[in-house]
Amino acid sequence: MNCRDKVTGKNYLLWLAAASLLLLFCLPAPGRAGDVKQGEKIAKTRKLGNCVACHYLPDVESPGDIGPNLVEAMAAYGPDDRREVTQWIVDPRKFNEHTIMPPFGANRILTDQQIDDVVSYLYTLNKKK
Amino acid sequence: MQDRKIRILQILVVPVAAVLVAAMFGTRARAAGKAGYTVEELSPSMSYEEYEKRYKEYYGDATARMAEEGNPADFLLDDGRDLANKVEGSKGKSCASCHGRDAMKLKGAATHFPRYDAAIKGIMTFPMQINACRVQAMGAKPLKYESYDQLALTLYIKSLSNGMPIQVSIDGPARPFYEEGRRAYYKRQGQLNFSCAICHIQYAGYKARSNLISNNKHHTDHWPSYRLKWGKTGSLQRRFRGCLKNMRAKVPPYQDEELRNIEFYLTYSNNGDLIQVPGMRM
Ligand code: HEC
Ligand code: HEC
Repeated sequence: MNCRDKVTGKNYLLWLAAASLLLLFCLPAPGRAGDVKQGEKIAKTRKLGNCVACHYLPDVESPGDIGPNLVEAMAAYGPDDRREVTQWIVDPRKFNEHTIMPPFGANRILTDQQIDDVVSYLYTLNKKK
Repeated sequence: MQDRKIRILQILVVPVAAVLVAAMFGTRARAAGKAGYTVEELSPSMSYEEYEKRYKEYYGDATARMAEEGNPADFLLDDGRDLANKVEGSKGKSCASCHGRDAMKLKGAATHFPRYDAAIKGIMTFPMQINACRVQAMGAKPLKYESYDQLALTLYIKSLSNGMPIQVSIDGPARPFYEEGRRAYYKRQGQLNFSCAICHIQYAGYKARSNLISNNKHHTDHWPSYRLKWGKTGSLQRRFRGCLKNMRAKVPPYQDEELRNIEFYLTYSNNGDLIQVPGMRM
């Protein structure tokens, strides 16, 4: 069936609204505020993000050293790079096909909201913020 | 009339043939993928010397002190010897009936395991061999894998090869199972998308939280081992299953084909390492 036939008049506006709404949900929303406190908890809890298995984060006993120190790494990201930081967590294979870092979004280890929270927390480590 | 029939036949046969051919290529491609030896290219991030240095720095003399206090798995050795001499089953035999008092003739036997077995057309591990002897030669019941008696008997008979180098052969019909094991070792699996190799080859020597990831060089020479975390003695496959669970991957049952193939691949890569059981680990 051809969708275009149906999109006429008032219908058109409705479709547009629906489509943009859908798009809004599909895109990783760069401006969406995450919960910093939740994000910190997610990043440091074994059953959730467990980022500290591999990365240094402040105030954690014996973090792992498989990945880069995230305080140092975040210094390289400015406010406009939120989407890139998010992508690292959603699916780092986009940057390195052979990475050991799990695809937290792609494999549904964390929800979009949880990833947003983690990114917000990571940005608090960013001295340049 | 005749022409039309042929025409109809052609119309019917051509697409069917096309589908068949496509399906054939499809399955061939899939089979090649499954048996194919393409695995991720991974190499250690540091030399073995550097790895050992980090291991010593990290554990200090903790493992040495542990050993001084004695290995709880040693208690299984006596029970294992008793089991080797114990007559069981419909044929009125014990291991000792065929392998000498205390099964002493099995000195060195463990160095050749796991091995390919023609009867099962697959990999025969040491615990499986012991059960095969019980069932076929003694008419006795197989011992449940990971049960106390199975671990004790396996451990005792394996200890007869202590100090001898592992000498596993992957020649002839064994080869495909080695390749399958290697493929499984490199396969990304589970929700976390890890493979055995990415940790134990590429990141050996790094810390996952407070665990130093071990280099796989000596992974197979000390099992069954006592593990503090378990508070128990367990097998190499129990350790595999633990790592698989951490990977949030499917955990196959003991002696499942995949676990046997991985054990075969890994033990072969440890050829030359000296058997030293029981081991003791954190
Ligand atoms: C099993 C190991 C592992 C875990 C768990 C892990 N990472 Fe990573 N991460 C890495 C490695 C290794 C890199 C370096 C890049 C690479 O090798 O692909 C990296 C890179 C990154 C980067 C990019 C750093 C840069 O230099 O730009 C960010 C951001 C990041 N990780 C965040 C996280 C967060 C947040 C979590 C938890 C939700 C997490 N990581 C969990 C291993 C891990
Ligand atoms: C995310 C990292 C990681 C992955 C993936 C992983 N392991 Fe491990 N493994 C470890 C850590 C950490 C230890 C504990 C270090 C130790 O025992 O020396 C360990 C221990 C082991 C040991 C015990 C070593 C010894 O000598 O006591 C074996 C054997 C082993 N792993 C095999 C495997 C196999 C097989 C797989 C894949 C099915 C696998 N591992 C996947 C991290 C991992």
